Amino acid sequence: MGNSIRKQVADLFQFALILCAAVVILVPIYWIASGAFKQQVDVFQLKLLFTPTLANFNEIFRSPYNLHEKLLNSTLVAGTTVLVAIPMATMAAYSFSRFRLRFERTMFLMILSTQFVPAVVIVLPYFLLFRDLGLLDTRLALVLVNLSLILPFAIWMIKGFIDGIPLDTEEAALVDGSSRLQVIWNIVLPMALPGILTAAIFCFILAWNEFLFAVIITNSKAVTMPVGLSLFHAEEGVLWHLISAAGILIMLPMFGLAMIIQKHFVQGMTLGAVR
Amino acid sequence: MRDRHLKYLFVLPALVLVLVTSFWPLLQSFWLSFREWKLSRARESRPLWEPEYDGWETWPYLLENYQRALEDDLLWNSVQVTSTFMIASVIVSVGLALGLALLLAPGGKFRLTVRTLLILPFAMSPALIGISWRFMFQPDFGLFQALFGALVPGLAGVDWLGDPTLALIAIVGSDVWHWTPYLTLVFIGGLANVPQDAQEAAMIDGASSWRVFVDVTLPALIPVLAVGIILKSIFSLKMFDQVYMLTNGGPGNATQTLAHYIYFHGFKYYDMGYASAVSYLLVIPMLGLTWLYMKLVFLKR
Repeated sequence: MGNSIRKQVADLFQFALILCAAVVILVPIYWIASGAFKQQVDVFQLKLLFTPTLANFNEIFRSPYNLHEKLLNSTLVAGTTVLVAIPMATMAAYSFSRFRLRFERTMFLMILSTQFVPAVVIVLPYFLLFRDLGLLDTRLALVLVNLSLILPFAIWMIKGFIDGIPLDTEEAALVDGSSRLQVIWNIVLPMALPGILTAAIFCFILAWNEFLFAVIITNSKAVTMPVGLSLFHAEEGVLWHLISAAGILIMLPMFGLAMIIQKHFVQGMTLGAVR
Repeated sequence: MRDRHLKYLFVLPALVLVLVTSFWPLLQSFWLSFREWKLSRARESRPLWEPEYDGWETWPYLLENYQRALEDDLLWNSVQVTSTFMIASVIVSVGLALGLALLLAPGGKFRLTVRTLLILPFAMSPALIGISWRFMFQPDFGLFQALFGALVPGLAGVDWLGDPTLALIAIVGSDVWHWTPYLTLVFIGGLANVPQDAQEAAMIDGASSWRVFVDVTLPALIPVLAVGIILKSIFSLKMFDQVYMLTNGGPGNATQTLAHYIYFHGFKYYDMGYASAVSYLLVIPMLGLTWLYMKLVFLKR
């Protein structure tokens, strides 16, 4: 008897702790989200009840903020980065997964290790290069630097998925006289597609949230959403209600995407260390 | 086409792109670090952003940049800030994540629902986290300011971001919030690989659940914990986004991390040679950690 009461108390205690953790995760997100629907006066008070308004969303898309331009920049930069990186990564991943290559290990480790180079180190020469080429403050420049961030992740993730596809169907088709390219197109790609899409979504999130490159090499025309957060200053101070509204536009789409791929989320981020 | 050509052709584009986008700038900034590379005296008259403006002066140096770096007290300050931040954020986030993983591992509807929440902080832009934390630590109307003030009487009415220690705690807090849920997911994955029967056998032998944890579960978790600790250390070393948005290195230089110091010298003073030299000081510990990580991940295969 005593034992089961002890167990119940322990269960209740665990339940309370988990609930605490959930609250800690949700409260900041809720506070940003609710700020987006507050009028400026309500932002400066800690009331839980307020009259919601959509005016903030109207205001951020008008001059001088023009957030739709930043939204377009973010979407185009992240989208292009992914569209360029994923086909390249898929080809490389297939080769690393299926063939013995000369210097395979060296090449693979080299590609992966670039992931750990601090962005602030490589952005210095990029800045000078883009300046010479007249590419500062362009989306093209952002795509190029984002590729350095995205490509290694994509290769690793997709290789993991291709490794998981059994070899026999492929081999049978080869014996039947299909060419390697036909096999890849007809058999491997359809089977790897869910994995490739997962990698694509994951990379999109990384590129969307990228901040350091964007804050350094963009200035006005190519500014992305995270950098755009710094725009909301007025003479009377920081415009928190507008920052919150922009914040919702930054985080909600990514929450949606993260939910789609949640099963594979961890694998992507640890470069496959933990499965 | 034969496989033996095809297989290299497939790797080539990715390899070239990685070489061009990562190794070229690495070498380039190594070269830069031995030069004085600054705006000329004309810097006031025309903005650097104009591409046609050619006001750079470059002088070959040997080790002057490095020497200057080692003699700069502010650099040592940022090394200290970075180490303090790294140690605090790694210990707190790994510790909390381990606890949370143990709590959430058993499954069941409630626990699985909470697990899906764990993805949210990580999918969030660090810049957004930084700026909204700044908002929540504001005196008078900040949410955290009010909450902590109510919980700890000594913290009522304190200006968090104006105090050197509290500002650093605020940054560690925002970083822990960002990373703990993700590390929890990693550790839950690790817990799934701990052999169940060993745990049950120990229980039947009459071991307390604490002893089972220390003698059976923890040793089995060590590889995953090590990966988590090293990854978190690497990401902590690079810390920039939240520093930029939350405190911008202040008050004074109290929260200036190495990445922020490099940014400041490279893009506020436009002293690229010096910034490159300092960035190589950041690359060295990073190389060590990366090597450790690769060893852990690959050698066991």
